[in-house]
This record gives sequence, structure tokens and C-alpha cells, in this order.
Amino acid sequence: MRLSIGVRAVLVLVLTLVLAARPPVAHAEEGIGDLRVDAGLVVGLPAALPTGTSTGVGVGVTHGHTLAWGARVSWSNATEYTTSWAVTHADLRLRAIGAFERSAGRGSFALRLGAGGTLVHETRTRNQGMRAGLEGSDLETSAWTMLPGADLELAVALRIAGPWAFVLSGGPSLHLRSSQIEAGWIGGVGVAWQP
Amino acid sequence: MSRQLAMLTLLLAGCSDHLVGLSGAPTPLARIQVQVEGDLAPLRPPGTENETPQLRVALVWGAQWLNEPFCFLPPESSEADLLIQAGCRDSLGFAPARVAANVAVEVGVPATLDLFDLPAADVMVGDVTARIAYGSLIVYDDRDGSGTLELRRPSRDGPEGPPPPDGGPVVDSKDIVYGASFVSMALPDRRLAFREGGFLTAAAFYPRAGCEPPPPGFSLLSAGGFSLDEARAAAILGRLPEEDPATCATSTLDQAVVTIALTRPADVREVACRVRRTDGSVRYNEPPGDASVLTGRTWACVGFPTLGSDPVPGQQLVIAAGADESCMGLTHYALKSCEEDPGCATPQWDRTASPPDWWPCQVQPAP
Repeated sequence: MRLSIGVRAVLVLVLTLVLAARPPVAHAEEGIGDLRVDAGLVVGLPAALPTGTSTGVGVGVTHGHTLAWGARVSWSNATEYTTSWAVTHADLRLRAIGAFERSAGRGSFALRLGAGGTLVHETRTRNQGMRAGLEGSDLETSAWTMLPGADLELAVALRIAGPWAFVLSGGPSLHLRSSQIEAGWIGGVGVAWQP
Repeated sequence: MSRQLAMLTLLLAGCSDHLVGLSGAPTPLARIQVQVEGDLAPLRPPGTENETPQLRVALVWGAQWLNEPFCFLPPESSEADLLIQAGCRDSLGFAPARVAANVAVEVGVPATLDLFDLPAADVMVGDVTARIAYGSLIVYDDRDGSGTLELRRPSRDGPEGPPPPDGGPVVDSKDIVYGASFVSMALPDRRLAFREGGFLTAAAFYPRAGCEPPPPGFSLLSAGGFSLDEARAAAILGRLPEEDPATCATSTLDQAVVTIALTRPADVREVACRVRRTDGSVRYNEPPGDASVLTGRTWACVGFPTLGSDPVPGQQLVIAAGADESCMGLTHYALKSCEEDPGCATPQWDRTASPPDWWPCQVQPAP
């Protein structure tokens, strides 16, 4: 029986949470605060391109423990080519997030749901256009659009030194475009600061 | 808060999507206005009068080429002169390298030919700091309905001709050429130029010395032409033949309409014929066993022309392509020769001791 990637991701998520389950240690006992700020590199499928890998940076803020809330912003960029065009999409993902979090030893696991919009800036440049002497819109066009989107990520944090932690996250991503849901994925690696 | 979120969601969902992504029609890199003028009916070859012509204009990039010495050196005899008339293409003529674009046209009605690709490096002459491509706009009847001009090859290519892609017999193009904006440097021409970087004034690639260099990018150039005698005289002096500056003109693509006059196909057919060899070299063949190669063709026994190298003794048999063939061409036979060099030290064949019965030329005795 073959399972879809989405089903397998959920199974891995559940298994991870079960394995990580242990008597919770109160953050207060460990001297950890409610606020966490993280930043790092972001990678994912472009929101409005059917192919390619969008890479960039992201930053997030969460507040709370077992149930946390916060916001994330990421900017990433991808360029793909056809025989006629070089198309660059810059994705600015703006998300309000809610997270379910469990601590495990020096680390923590969190299931993070983000919803909001992705501002996409598109630049299309005609291949060979500059050599041919094209100018203006014949050479390059640009457009903006905002796409509703949501991400579901499993985030793993491992405290390294004091308030600093290494964070790894990833999961499926959805965007609503022209009344159709387009699936993708997003992941990230970075550091978190949780005083 | 929840109300604000709902409004934000609706706002986001309501954004119109102007993204094109990887789809969308490509923008033409150049647009050339063309117009065909003339009366086609009296020019149509016998047997095609009842067909419905499908006139099209093709942009064809030119090849850098050099005619074989026999064709541009003064003829050594009247027979050789007749042979040159029958089998040599114009030494100053336009030779095609690649068809770049096509558009359907009607006589007397302007049309726009869109070019979606720049000329590739193999049709540009020069290096990356200064190179140029020249193109001719060719009017043709697309008799095979392929939508593009099929370039022809001299039919006597022999083993050096490329095999057809499907491995079957070589089928000649049915397309008939009725005119071109650039037929020969010996005639007034109008050509499309694409220049990148500088311009080499000493380059002998379809030269137009005496005219202003073409501007960078695409342009349309005109020149009045020069004769073969003028070209020979200039070559002896190590110079390029000069155009009359009064006949030179340069215009941008959006300024000009290229008018192409319909012409007798026999006068312009060579613009759609590839050249066998672009470096002016000759391929020599061993004589066949029978005289069928002479049937219905113009031929002559001539010496081996050279350009400053050691003279080669003996004679060769040179045969012109038949009048019924679609491209001009010469075939060379020698009794003793290598394929590339009749004066080679170790001939690939030597029939001087036993030449074919039909051999009409002098026999150089074997040493």
C-alpha cells in the first residue's frame, strides 16, 4: 500500500510527538520564558511557479508554551527559465501562526499552523532581449499579486547554549490561486532565541 | 480580531492575479515589415500554373563562403567559360545558412515577419567583441505546405552530402523561390543585419566597403553592388571592393518596409541553395566506368587551378549540374588524385595507366 506524501508526513509527525511524549517539564522550572524569536534560511516550492526551489530568509516570533501563537515573515526568491523567458518570483510570506508544542529533553517539538498571505512579485525577462535591443515592456515585465496561503510545519528545536537553540522545520504549504488550491512545501533551518 | 482576520482573508482572496509565470507568448526580438510586389502569373514555371500559390517570405541568414578557384579565376578556354556559366554559382552571390523565420504574404499587401531567435554564433562572423550576421528576405511558393523554406543542396553532393534524417532517398525541395532582397553583391541589395559589439571594416563577409558600418543590433542595409571584375581588382590590391556611397542606406526596422520584387525563379533560385563547401576547396572523384555522367551535361577538360601553390600537371574533367537540377554545381573527376589534393604525393587512385575508354581529357602518363 502506497501512502501519499501528506499522509506519511502526518504519520511521522504523530509518531514523533508520541516518542517525544514524557512528563512535561514546566518551562518555568527550566527558567525558560514564553517569548521565542527565531530566524534562519527558508526553502520551498515557489507560491506561484509550478517548478523550482525558492530560497531566502525568514523570521518568526511566538509566545506561549504548549499552545503558542505568533507571526512569521519570510522572503524567498526563485528564477526559472523557458526558451523565451527568465521568470523570477519573489515570495513574501506573511503568516499568523498557532502552534502546539511539547518539550523533550533539551529540545522541543511543535506542530505549527500558519495562515495569511503570500505577496508574489514576478519579473519576466525576455531571453536574448537585451542583445536584440529590446526595451521597456518588450524586454521585461513585472507584476504583483497577493495569494492566500497556509503552511503546516513540524518544527524541532534543540537548545544549544543558554537561550539559543537550533531550529529545523518543514511541511506542506497551500496557496489559493484562481479559485484553485495549489500544494507546495516549505522548510527552514535557523536559530532561535528564547530567554 | 476575528472580524479583522476575516476581512483580511477576503481582501487577500480578492486580489487579482496578474502573474504570467512560465507561460505566455514570447515577445518577438525583431519585427520586419515586408511587401512583395510584381505579377506572379507570368513567372510561374510550366506545370505549376494550375496550383494555388502559397507565397511566403523567409528570413534566411547568410553563410560565409568562398567559391572554388575554377569559378572565379579567368577561364582558360571558351569551353571552360561555358562550363562556368552553366555550373558555377555567382561568386558574389548570397549563400544561405539557416532559415530563421517565415510569414505568409500576399502580393501588394504589407506583412510583418516576427523573429523570435537571434542568429546563432555559427551564422555570425567575427568574435564575441565584434561579430555580425546578414540575412536575406526570400519570397517563395511553399509548394510542400511545410510553412518554411526548405533549403536545397546541389544534387551531385556524392558521399559528402549529409544523409536524410529518415535514412530514405534525398528528396529535393518543391519550394520555388520568386525573389529575394539580397541575391548578390553584384546587384543592388537590401539585407537585414544583426551586429554585436564592434564592426570589423576589413571583414570580407558580404562586404559593403564605402558604406557606413551598420549600427549595433538589428538594422536594414542597402548597397548598390559591385562587379566581379571590381572584386578581382580589389583582391589583387589586398582591399575590399568599394560600394558607391550614394547607393548606401541604413534604416531601423520600424522605419522601413522591405519591398521584394517578384523575379524569374531561374534568376534567384541559388539563394535557397546551400553551398557544397564553404572554404572554396574542391573534392575530386575517381572517374566512373561509363560515360553516363556526361549525358546531357556541360563539361570541359581543364587544368587544375591553383591560388599561388605549386601547379599540378594534367587535366581534370569538370561537369556542370544538369539544367533540370535545382541547384548549380560542379563535379570534378581526375585520373590520379587524392580526394582533396590532385597533387598529393601518394594518390588515392591512379588510373593514368588504364583510363576509362570514354575519358575525354588528356592522360598524364604514370611516372
